[in-house]
Amino acid sequence: MKTLSITGLGVVSPIGVGREAFGAALADPEQARARAFRGPSAVLDQEAFADARVAEVRDFDPKQYLGSKGLRNFDRMTCMLIVAAKHALEDAGIKQDGKYAALVPERVGIISATAYGSLDSITEVNRVTELEHPRYLNPSRFPNTVINSAAGYVGIWEDLQAPNVTVVNGNCGALDSVLTAETHLNQLRADAFLVGGVEVLSEPLYLACSKLGIAGSGDSPCQPGAMYSRGTHLGEGSALLCVEPSDHAEERGAHVLAQIAGFGASFEPPVSEAQLVHASADAVASAARTALRDAGLSPVDIDLVVSAESGISRSDAAEAEGLARVFGGRVATVAPKALWGETFGAAGALSLCAAVCWLRGAGPLPLLRGESPRLLRHVLVTTMGYYGTASAVVLRRGPNELDRR
Amino acid sequence: MTRRVYVTGMGAVSSLGFGREAFWQALCEGRSGASTLSLFDTADLGRSRACEVRDFRPRDHMTAAEARRTGRCSGFAVAATRMAVEDSGLDPSGLESDRISVILGTTMGEVDVISDLESAWLHQGEHAVDQRLLPRYGTALLPIHVARAVGARGLLQTLPAACAAGNYAIGFATDHIRAGRADVVITGAAEIIAKVQFAGFVRLGAVAPERVQPFDKNRKGLLLGEGAGIVVLESEEHAVRRGAPVLAEVGGYGLACDAHHITRPHPEGDGSLKAMRSALVTSGIEPGDVDFVNAHGTGTHANDLVESKVIHEMFGGRRVPVSSIKSMLGHCMGAASALEAISCVETLRTGLFPPTTGYEEPDPECNVELVANQPREGKADVVLNNSLAFGGYDAVLCLARPGVLPPPREPQ
Repeated sequence: MKTLSITGLGVVSPIGVGREAFGAALADPEQARARAFRGPSAVLDQEAFADARVAEVRDFDPKQYLGSKGLRNFDRMTCMLIVAAKHALEDAGIKQDGKYAALVPERVGIISATAYGSLDSITEVNRVTELEHPRYLNPSRFPNTVINSAAGYVGIWEDLQAPNVTVVNGNCGALDSVLTAETHLNQLRADAFLVGGVEVLSEPLYLACSKLGIAGSGDSPCQPGAMYSRGTHLGEGSALLCVEPSDHAEERGAHVLAQIAGFGASFEPPVSEAQLVHASADAVASAARTALRDAGLSPVDIDLVVSAESGISRSDAAEAEGLARVFGGRVATVAPKALWGETFGAAGALSLCAAVCWLRGAGPLPLLRGESPRLLRHVLVTTMGYYGTASAVVLRRGPNELDRR
Repeated sequence: MTRRVYVTGMGAVSSLGFGREAFWQALCEGRSGASTLSLFDTADLGRSRACEVRDFRPRDHMTAAEARRTGRCSGFAVAATRMAVEDSGLDPSGLESDRISVILGTTMGEVDVISDLESAWLHQGEHAVDQRLLPRYGTALLPIHVARAVGARGLLQTLPAACAAGNYAIGFATDHIRAGRADVVITGAAEIIAKVQFAGFVRLGAVAPERVQPFDKNRKGLLLGEGAGIVVLESEEHAVRRGAPVLAEVGGYGLACDAHHITRPHPEGDGSLKAMRSALVTSGIEPGDVDFVNAHGTGTHANDLVESKVIHEMFGGRRVPVSSIKSMLGHCMGAASALEAISCVETLRTGLFPPTTGYEEPDPECNVELVANQPREGKADVVLNNSLAFGGYDAVLCLARPGVLPPPREPQ
């Protein structure tokens, strides 16, 4: 892979909104985690979901960031993605006070992932159609049921006219978006992409996960590394990284936060034809090795792994085993879903943002395994799907960043 | 990044039949896939016609285990994939599986699964939700099932690019091969009609009462359709090495985003024009080289009007034959441009342009050289496949007879 530079971040997360707040929150992971899970939910009905324990972007008011006009038809997913996009573009210096300051609309695009789209919008249409009458459907809200509407609205709001792509690959989508961006950048279809993902909490999503026994509730231990972890806690968020070819970023004098050096993806089907859900250690190992090869690195070059372990024991065990096959079980590993829950299509993007902050010195590392590395130069970020997929991205410290740790 | 990419196999599941031969024959005969919907109750909706896939029996195309674990949309995709792989003569077991990828488009994927689950939840409560169905919901599943059917272990991706999804997927698959990251990609798109999209399109005022008449003065909107169009793409060296049947070459494709409105196209068709121009530039050809345009041609007032302007602007005064097979197939949403790509390849192979049926009265504002009502013979070396979707997602794919396009160049 030709090295890509990350020149800006926009993040809307349960531990903080905006790169500064997010990075500052990472400085005290315990408090960040407590804050993410504390307080009544604005999304889940208090009575019906009294037991739920979720990480939510609490008190999220999009008007605070976007003004009060033009938001009427936007759902929660769209608002979060637009806010992340706005922040990423400003952070990268591509926009200043909402106007293009560098680059032009035709050359800036967005590649964004989600796993389930706006389940709340789909549910609303289903509810009105089934329980009331289709004549009461609000046609202006129908586009929200289509999975790429959020990215479409970002394109309209921020005037991004280069390719606008929504990628769906379950929990791996946000990392896959990195490859998609690299492909389009190599084809010279744009000068910069916002790359990442979004996922929002909703009652149908929580209900589905709790029925499947993967969403933990109340005080049951549900986090990566917890003995007998009973599942994961759901979270939500959006994160977009502004990604440009390194030579372009340098030419325009952009501030490089970190660099992307390699990508790998793999799929291993279950042995049984009848089986659907499948967590694959083979896929994780293969994706990690491909990403390393793509970056021209060996396992010993990786100082930190940011894994997708979430508290779902079988998945976590498979991922840990896959990583152990590549790294021998000794590499320092963080599992940030402990901080903000399982965010599906946004997960890889939040992990990338955290990895960038850690590369730049946010600390201490909330380690799941291994010891804090002396130097942090290369980070491997992994994601794992529920059906046999895995993806991995290698990040490198930015060229002007000091040796950390 | 300069490898040629070939189409070596195709498969179709549609309201006009199964398999590329039946599909193409039906198009050339001007048959309509429209009927009264049987998939759900339309009594409340005010519209009831669509191009529904009839007589699809999962066990005709899938093993019992596959049929049990797939939703209807994935079922279409797997069935069309098997047809395409057989058509290509590819033996996946003989290939390096991590060099085979699956990249598919859709709009809403397994939307009937979520509709059924929610219907139970809304009418009867939480206890009625069948949790065995829950894992079957997820747009990510489409390429998973297809990958398992062919033994692919490379990148799996779904691109839900609304009504441009097919071209998005085929285009990205081509990029992926050109970047050297895969030798073979199973690509295309699949879509099913479910009540949620049907109701939504009806409420947008977009659905015609009886029939769809693209570019006609009295057109009253679209009819929804469903199905799957799958093509096998291979790098030139891979195809040549195994003596693959080469059906067509994939040239370049143009992607643009109107960034204008979430449902209405840009009034001057800015994004669509950019996408069409980019498809030509990236294929190394000029507007004068294009022999036929497979229009997006949904039959709505707005689309056909703007698309006509764009085609006119694109080709100056030249009367390039244009047709919309949505007149027969309906608007298969995410699967539309994939099924239409298959039709384009058949045009390249046979020199026949499929008709736009139902054309009765010309619209002076839609001044295009329409292949009206009957198929037409003509020079067919290079064709463009337009898809101009909600949200201003414009994707235009260039397909050509093998040997016609100049060698692909590095991007400029």
